[in-house]
Amino acid sequence: MAKISLDGHDRGIKVVSRMLRDAGMDVVYLGTHLTPESVIQAAIQEDVDVIGLSFLSGEHLTCVEKIAKLTKEHGLEDVLFIVGGVIPQQDIPSLKKLGVDEVFPAGTMIEDIENYIKSKTSEK
Amino acid sequence: MSECYEKMVDAYFEKPSRLRTWSDFDIKTTYTPEDVSHLNYKKDIADPGKYPYTRGIHEDMYRGKYWTRREVCGYGSPADTNERFKYLVEHGQAGLDVIFDIPTMTGIDADHPRVEDDVGIQGTSLPTLKDMELLMEGIPLDRVSASLVITSYAAPVILAQYIALAQNQNIDISKLRGTIQNDPLHHRFCGYPPSMSPLELSLKMAVDIIEYCTKNMLMWYPMNINAYDLRENGINAPQEIGFSFAMAITYIEGALRRGLAIDEFAPRLAFYCSSHIDFFEEIAKLRAARRLWAKMMKERFKAKDPRSLKFRFGVHTAGCSLVPQQPLNNIIRVAYEALAAVLAGVQSLHCCSYDEPIGLPTETAHQIALRTQQILAYETGVANTTDPLGGSYYLEYLTDKIVDEAEKILDEIEGRGGMFKAIQSGWVTAEIEKAAYKYQKEIKDRERLVVGMNTFQIPPEEETAVEVHRVSHESVKEQIENLKILKKNRDNAKVKKSLDAMRRAAEKGEKENLIPPIIEAVKTYASIGEIIGTVREVYGLSYDPLGVIQSGIAHFA
Repeated sequence: MAKISLDGHDRGIKVVSRMLRDAGMDVVYLGTHLTPESVIQAAIQEDVDVIGLSFLSGEHLTCVEKIAKLTKEHGLEDVLFIVGGVIPQQDIPSLKKLGVDEVFPAGTMIEDIENYIKSKTSEK
Repeated sequence: MSECYEKMVDAYFEKPSRLRTWSDFDIKTTYTPEDVSHLNYKKDIADPGKYPYTRGIHEDMYRGKYWTRREVCGYGSPADTNERFKYLVEHGQAGLDVIFDIPTMTGIDADHPRVEDDVGIQGTSLPTLKDMELLMEGIPLDRVSASLVITSYAAPVILAQYIALAQNQNIDISKLRGTIQNDPLHHRFCGYPPSMSPLELSLKMAVDIIEYCTKNMLMWYPMNINAYDLRENGINAPQEIGFSFAMAITYIEGALRRGLAIDEFAPRLAFYCSSHIDFFEEIAKLRAARRLWAKMMKERFKAKDPRSLKFRFGVHTAGCSLVPQQPLNNIIRVAYEALAAVLAGVQSLHCCSYDEPIGLPTETAHQIALRTQQILAYETGVANTTDPLGGSYYLEYLTDKIVDEAEKILDEIEGRGGMFKAIQSGWVTAEIEKAAYKYQKEIKDRERLVVGMNTFQIPPEEETAVEVHRVSHESVKEQIENLKILKKNRDNAKVKKSLDAMRRAAEKGEKENLIPPIIEAVKTYASIGEIIGTVREVYGLSYDPLGVIQSGIAHFA
């Protein structure tokens, strides 16, 4: 779980990280202001099943494009890629086209994220 | 009986399940004179305009002047924002309220290699005086009230741009009316790491602004302590007061150490509070803040001037109480929150736009937010008398309860060596995280209900699709390009000279006020990144908060 770009709104991602931990998942929260490269490096090192990013300032499309490019370059297409935060419904198709598996806008119930991750990771 | 009628029968007999305030105070069935028998009207409550100002800081309140109706505005290039200003002004806005993008907020230039995704998003981009000129184009600075929403240690640069613009127009800066947020310690709680929100430099810059404005801009509010952002992080009502007052104490002590007298600057300190969704608790909180502030200023800081004792505040309705599901419902939430703020005697109000949890406000959403204020002012009659709810047993009880709780929090922080140390030790962050987690857990367990989110949901495909305001990529690109061109074409020898002068001033030590040399640097079109970078180096920090650019001075050689 991480935030890239300069945006510092981190209440959501910290709470989601903690509650996914409560649900028995092993969660690494990297923090804010990371570069796309450092998130990908951490994902490789930790051998993660899921990458989660949070955006609240309208920078999601440009940032996701960068991460998606790197995931392909590093052959991480199998890693589940989820995005949360302040994201208009209209942008969800574009995000999915870029390679995001699921989008959880503000106001999502945590168990929906939990259930989604559990169902997708158990499929593998 | 079909299932839907089963539900209706249940709904008929339903009663409230959570008999506690948002902040978890138990609520009794009824409040009577006994619940407030320990309070003395003259000592604890008093008439409006009289110490301790529980009922309001003005005797006549809105009969003398309405609260300032202003909506926060800022996106894209300064010219884009100037256009939206005109729109808001045409629709009856009473003051300007401008917010800056994150690069500007954090003292980073728009042409920095790592920030292109953030330029003009979440605010407007103001790296140089050129941008301030475009932002304020056509606006009579000597007659309007402008609120500059910049909280960080880069605030002196934005203030300097505003001052430089006024001086270049031959306007006497002592006539400028407005507010700069200038609460850099709280910036640490907006997700910025220490490298981007250095505490010591933050405190120094904050005091520089207070000192400069006290001596040169008496109609200006040099500090608007941001209780709102703290609350948005998940803390409760007494914590909102406790934490923000503890911040205020830190700044006040800083200004006193600088040699200012309390009554010189305290009359111009103000707060920016939240108005959350628990109607009575929020009114009680704001009344409690007035009482506690008055007592603290009088007893602790020995202020004599009655203006020093008056808690002045703006309100931002609670963005975090809004949800993207069934978004039009947010208009109703905002209206209740705004009503609470007005009943509590707010001085200046920003209503959230209903699309806040979806994106930047569209023109229509901005207009509805403004109309919410206007309906309150012109139709509901709530502005006709001061503190109309004063004397309610429940409200007075709750006001007193919140005073007590906030005092306990202040004592706890005091015991930890003050707010500065409490921040450094990580205690404040831990308290905030604990509160945010607790809230979310209660949402998850449906102990707290939010319509459309964890009750009365509808399937996503039935949601009303709302229009989304987009920042123009072209104008952002142009903004970045323009900065590069300006840096090439300005008189760089002059820029270097002004930055060197500022550096020498900074080297003289913490007490040397940097606002005058920053104004001079701004006038040569030195950028926010260059100015902040230069000061950072003197304070032993990396030139670039993101650690990418090695030194800014190199390209002047």
